[in-house]
Amino acid sequence: MDYKASAQGVLEAIGGKENIISAAHCATRLRLVIADNSKVNKEQLENVDGAKGVFEASGQLQIIFGTGTVNKVFDEFIALAGIEAGTKEDVKKAAASKQNIFLRLIKTLGDVFVPILPAIVASGLLMGLLEGMTNVIPGMKESNWYTFFHLMSSAALTFLPILIAVSSARVFGGNMFLGAVVGMIMIHPDLVNAWNAEAVESAPVLFSIGAYSVKLVGYQGHVIPVILSVWVMSFVEKKLHKVVPEILDLFVVPLASVLASGIVALLIVGPIFGQLETWVLQGASWLISVPFGIGGFFVGAIYAPTVVAGVHHMYNLIEQGFLSNGGANVWMPIATAVNVAQGAAALAVALKTRNKKLKSMAVPAALSAYMGITEPAIFGVNIRYKRPFIAGMIGGAVGGLFAALTHVGASAYGVTGIFGILITVPNSELGLGVWNLVNYILTMLIASAAAFVVSFIWFKDDAPCEKDKVYSPLKGKAIALTEVKDETFAAGVLGQGFAVLPETGKVVAPFNGKVTTLFETKHAVGVTSDSGIEVLIHVGLNTVALEGKYFTALVKEGDTVRIGQTLLTFDQKAIAEAEYDTTTPVIVTNADDYAAVDVLCKGKVSFGEEVLRTEEKKAEVTAESAQA
Amino acid sequence: MKFEYAIKDSLGIHARPAGLLVAEAKKYKSAVTIEAKGKKADAKRIFAVMSLGVKCGDVINVLCEGEDAEAAIAGMKAVVEANL
Repeated sequence: MDYKASAQGVLEAIGGKENIISAAHCATRLRLVIADNSKVNKEQLENVDGAKGVFEASGQLQIIFGTGTVNKVFDEFIALAGIEAGTKEDVKKAAASKQNIFLRLIKTLGDVFVPILPAIVASGLLMGLLEGMTNVIPGMKESNWYTFFHLMSSAALTFLPILIAVSSARVFGGNMFLGAVVGMIMIHPDLVNAWNAEAVESAPVLFSIGAYSVKLVGYQGHVIPVILSVWVMSFVEKKLHKVVPEILDLFVVPLASVLASGIVALLIVGPIFGQLETWVLQGASWLISVPFGIGGFFVGAIYAPTVVAGVHHMYNLIEQGFLSNGGANVWMPIATAVNVAQGAAALAVALKTRNKKLKSMAVPAALSAYMGITEPAIFGVNIRYKRPFIAGMIGGAVGGLFAALTHVGASAYGVTGIFGILITVPNSELGLGVWNLVNYILTMLIASAAAFVVSFIWFKDDAPCEKDKVYSPLKGKAIALTEVKDETFAAGVLGQGFAVLPETGKVVAPFNGKVTTLFETKHAVGVTSDSGIEVLIHVGLNTVALEGKYFTALVKEGDTVRIGQTLLTFDQKAIAEAEYDTTTPVIVTNADDYAAVDVLCKGKVSFGEEVLRTEEKKAEVTAESAQA
Repeated sequence: MKFEYAIKDSLGIHARPAGLLVAEAKKYKSAVTIEAKGKKADAKRIFAVMSLGVKCGDVINVLCEGEDAEAAIAGMKAVVEANL
């Protein structure tokens, strides 16, 4: 794939570099903040080579290119546009004015979590492998080798607040090492370990005022208190950097920011938000445990829309919470049901569609969903056609119902789908047996089957639209242009094509393209296809003299239209009664740009049938192309 | 080279006259441009000419540039006067 061409394509479709406020990318998407959204041609953008989907969310224009591709397109893009690479933080800030506070908070949570996911995934997979081995090798659990591997698998989760703190400091623009210190303070070994429930009960009390008491307890497994404390630290640090003279900076700023945030962390933020976090988790646990699997059904149904809204990053918090409380992660199997369901829905689209581009995109998107990455399936395929997305929601709900009924749990988080098998293997510590694994696999099968069937039945394939063809904009009887009783048309002065004696008073778009000209009198409309074919549909002869009477336009100049979309309606009976010939020429006005325009129809034609084909001129051999 | 013309046809430049103008413009090697209401259009492209939305009473400027500009101006003028 030509990354430069794709970057150039994006740049053109968004209205040039002047229209960019800032640019960044994440794992799969190019994220742009646009000055004037009306200059963006979404259709054109979707057709850029490699673009798997385009959507606007949280004030950003996001174009999905996929892992491994997006960074290369991005590099070319910023080189072409001559802008500096924005960090995601810059883009977020630029977009902030278009976003509400709640979404911004959740975005922040995502920004903190996403960079540390590799650590958590490594840890989770290792844990899964290790548990798998203890099931196969007798005596493994009691051996020192178990301890040896267990410490590798548990390190990231044991010291999670430090990872969170470092990541938060980066997001908030504070010093990452000072951030790490704040995280270390919160899980210092001198504090009672929060995972030791008995010890927490009898932990030393620092002070208490009425019901508010502060114990010397750590924040193992907590997330929000850590993020907030580091935010305080970064805030203090940045403020102090501005006011403290440079010569004193090193002595004053780190000391003051660590001390201030340490005090705030352990005395205020920790106790309050630690409690809030517990409540959020209890709420989630309650939701999932609503009897008869109703909770799982509900979560499974609404999960995918929350991915679209971008608020799904907070689920890491919930999953972490389940594990921190010593239980299994019962959220992940529902997430898996949701992901594979979206994948299965996309797969059904892949099998049903005749559109080659869509097919070639839907297959890898579906596979990727089974590996736990759903963005390509959701944004690239399902949501564009809506019905597959809803089919995915149904599959997610059904799978979620089954997972909740059978209490499937996982021993870690950060992976879903097929790789999730590794963390749903039998695990004696969490009380997960062989049935847990079986039910996990059944969850995937059930969710997939439901989503696939609904999507396959419900999804309506787009009419085929090949770039060298024109599809009938009218229904009626086709005649040759030379039979038209108007010498200008008959002689081909306006271009090559054919004419229709219309049966119904409706004109639809002959391809995907743009309305280029629409006469004020609405009797004729010019449409240019995405590939550059210009087609004029002129309803009736001399009907310009009706001055718009009997005609209704449903589009305006500049509108992007899809094949089959209604452009005009007209009262053919009234026009005929006014003694006008309703013969409607359909003409390729830039016929000179092509070697030939072939008429493919004869006699009766209906909307959407192939009527004209353009033949490309043979490329002339020029000095340049000969050299190349 | 250029000439100015006020449209007298009550229907303005609709499809048929646009087609005739373009057919004439294509005969020449010169670049032929029609200006109207602050917009410019390549007179060799039907969609461009139609998009100007020229109506009765509007003033158009026809510009020809190139080796056969003189002949182009004369030809265009004849077509414009005969049809508009």
